[in-house]
Amino acid sequence: MTSIQVITRENKVEYAEILDEYFRLRHEVFVGERGWTNLRRSDGRDVDAYDNDNASYLIAIDKDQVIGGLRLYPTLLPHMISEAFPHLVKEKGVLSGLTILECTRYFIVKERRTGRADCRLLAGFQQFCLEEGVTEVTAVVEMWWLPRWHQAGFKVRPLGLPTMVEGQPCIAAAIRISEASLDHVRRLAGLRGSCISRASRDSTHLNGVPHVAA
Amino acid sequence: MSGLSLDHTAEAFEFIEELDRLATPQDIIDAMERTFSRFGFENFIIAGLPHPDQRIESLVLLKKWPLGWYQRYTSNGYDRHDPVIRLCRQTVQPFEWSEARYDPETNPKGAEIMRGAADFGMKQGYCLPIHGLNGFEACLSMSGPSLDLTAQTKPALHLMAMYAFERARLILAPSPRPNPLTLREQETLRWAALGKSAADTGEILGVTERTITAHMGSACQKLSAANKTHAVARALQHRLIEL
Repeated sequence: MTSIQVITRENKVEYAEILDEYFRLRHEVFVGERGWTNLRRSDGRDVDAYDNDNASYLIAIDKDQVIGGLRLYPTLLPHMISEAFPHLVKEKGVLSGLTILECTRYFIVKERRTGRADCRLLAGFQQFCLEEGVTEVTAVVEMWWLPRWHQAGFKVRPLGLPTMVEGQPCIAAAIRISEASLDHVRRLAGLRGSCISRASRDSTHLNGVPHVAA
Repeated sequence: MSGLSLDHTAEAFEFIEELDRLATPQDIIDAMERTFSRFGFENFIIAGLPHPDQRIESLVLLKKWPLGWYQRYTSNGYDRHDPVIRLCRQTVQPFEWSEARYDPETNPKGAEIMRGAADFGMKQGYCLPIHGLNGFEACLSMSGPSLDLTAQTKPALHLMAMYAFERARLILAPSPRPNPLTLREQETLRWAALGKSAADTGEILGVTERTITAHMGSACQKLSAANKTHAVARALQHRLIEL
């Protein structure tokens, strides 16, 4: 079953291998599959200026394999919407704030797109943001993502009109973080409780020791 | 020019805000009629895309269609041949009806349907496919005798149509229909799609050939398929199995 591992500056050294696999799959998905050729790198890793200590990652893992993930970044710092896509946001200006993050590089590997992996990652996303006190998350996505978010129970407001990016109509939008959305997407994902792990590798190891559940 | 597109932005955002306040399907129909008529649209329909064993009538959420056309469309099962619906299943991007190509040789009903629609004033159209989670598929299709579809109007229409669809879905809350096939039936069809016989499949899954034949029979029945090949084609077409 898919679980979601949180990787932040605190534990990224211990999770270097998983993070590297996420970067490799990102290259496979965004350069190979979607054809964002300007991201192409000879080491086969998609790593950009926002992959720094300010980023947090939610990585979807099933049977020790990375099958997807996403990146969250503070909007008070220069971020992708403010630097690369300000024209996708209508006149009022880029949405930013202490409790607002930006989500980028979301993907689930091709083989796992028909099952519940998407729902699990989206559930992990709402849960993580609730726990962190995040109120909204902005993102630029292909338009066909909107109905999927809606169906997952997410409240999404558009920040501008659809605009062509890399040949696809994309939109800047803000997802509201809420208990109601988490409940809804958890039901869709077939989850009763948490599916995220924030543990560092050492404590995961300890948790792995068989124990009697209370 | 930028003034014009700014107008469409404001219009789209007002429409989306208005949708949030609407409580009934009729309210949505009225709001869509008011807003989309400014772009030349007179008719629209929001419907789920039917599985082989479903009728389109049961999946229509909202519609403003000429009654005569709706009766003709449903009584003839036009949704099975409609080029617009076929393209809907294949793309996530909105398209104009004129982009929904069909081969008169293999789909003779395609021309009949498009001509029939035009006779009812539905000459041009714009269709937004919806591909949701867990295989949920639907569309919002709008039409009129002469449409204002340009690079300036399409982004606003795209966004408004998506939110109109969402409001209708929320109010009418059709739970996405689960896959009618059991896991075993899906597995049986997948192996058949890969060229395996019932005996091969039985061996692979560790059951008898007779059991596989029974799974296939039940899958055929659920898909209204005449035989194994037909069942595999239908299951793939409706994304009930993946290879």
